[in-house]
Amino acid sequence: MATTTATVSISSSDLQPGNTLSINASSTLMQTGLTTGLEIMDMGASTATVAGGPDALHEALGTVDTANYMYLCNNATDDTFYLQVVLHDTVIGRLYAGDWMFTPWNMSDAAAEWAIEAEVGTCPYEYAFFKSTYTLPISTQGDASATGGGTLNP
Amino acid sequence: MATTNASISISSDIMSYPVSINKTMTMKKAGSCHGLDETSGLNNTKKQTETAFKLFGNAEATTLKASKVYIRNTGSSKTDFFYIGYGEDLAAATIETIGRLYGGDWMLIPWDAVAATSHDIYAKASTAEVMTIEYMAFIE
Repeated sequence: MATTTATVSISSSDLQPGNTLSINASSTLMQTGLTTGLEIMDMGASTATVAGGPDALHEALGTVDTANYMYLCNNATDDTFYLQVVLHDTVIGRLYAGDWMFTPWNMSDAAAEWAIEAEVGTCPYEYAFFKSTYTLPISTQGDASATGGGTLNP
Repeated sequence: MATTNASISISSDIMSYPVSINKTMTMKKAGSCHGLDETSGLNNTKKQTETAFKLFGNAEATTLKASKVYIRNTGSSKTDFFYIGYGEDLAAATIETIGRLYGGDWMLIPWDAVAATSHDIYAKASTAEVMTIEYMAFIE
């Protein structure tokens, strides 16, 4: 069984005068309703540009309403550059340069995909998805063995 | 101007090689080098109902800005959870539902507080048993 742990620390000495803020939390990510760790993940990095328009960061191809998690970070350094983060057709928020986010994702519906779009500037980004289930997209090449081509599953 | 830092650390052995993600951000205002300086304060609420309840109203922040929200299920159950999402209609097949926070799970996300109830942030427990949720907004 794999073990995936996500820890957060939030601190500020001056956000609330007279009250130092210190939040520390850690969670071991489990499969839906189980005490078994997640076994599926995707991670990567790329660059989003204004000209590129919105990109589907991850389609909801797993079992609906399950335990999945997403990490996303905008690695741009110009404070004005940001990524717009969208779940299906709902704008979640703006991820400015240097900002990261971490959220559960239950794939509530097949349309519940994550999308991002650089609204200002060119934004290098990195992401990771940790999932309970996932189905790979159907190949656009069809069954290669039936057409005399290479065999995907010999 | 306040300085608020948030660090994340993710470690995993799902792959055949260790995965380690470590990032720190300073929460800044939109397009600015100045830090967020308003907050809802840290809240802790005990619930014993399966009815959705509001954590943050859109009027608490401004749209097209860099607000953020932190939410955590302080419990330990890996079967009971809070749905978290935008708008009040949270359930299994509602697209505006973002995800499930099981016991110990947390989230930190940007929040575009569009001036509409569709961008109020709600939670909904999966059980009528007592559950506790912790939440805080960092507001612009």
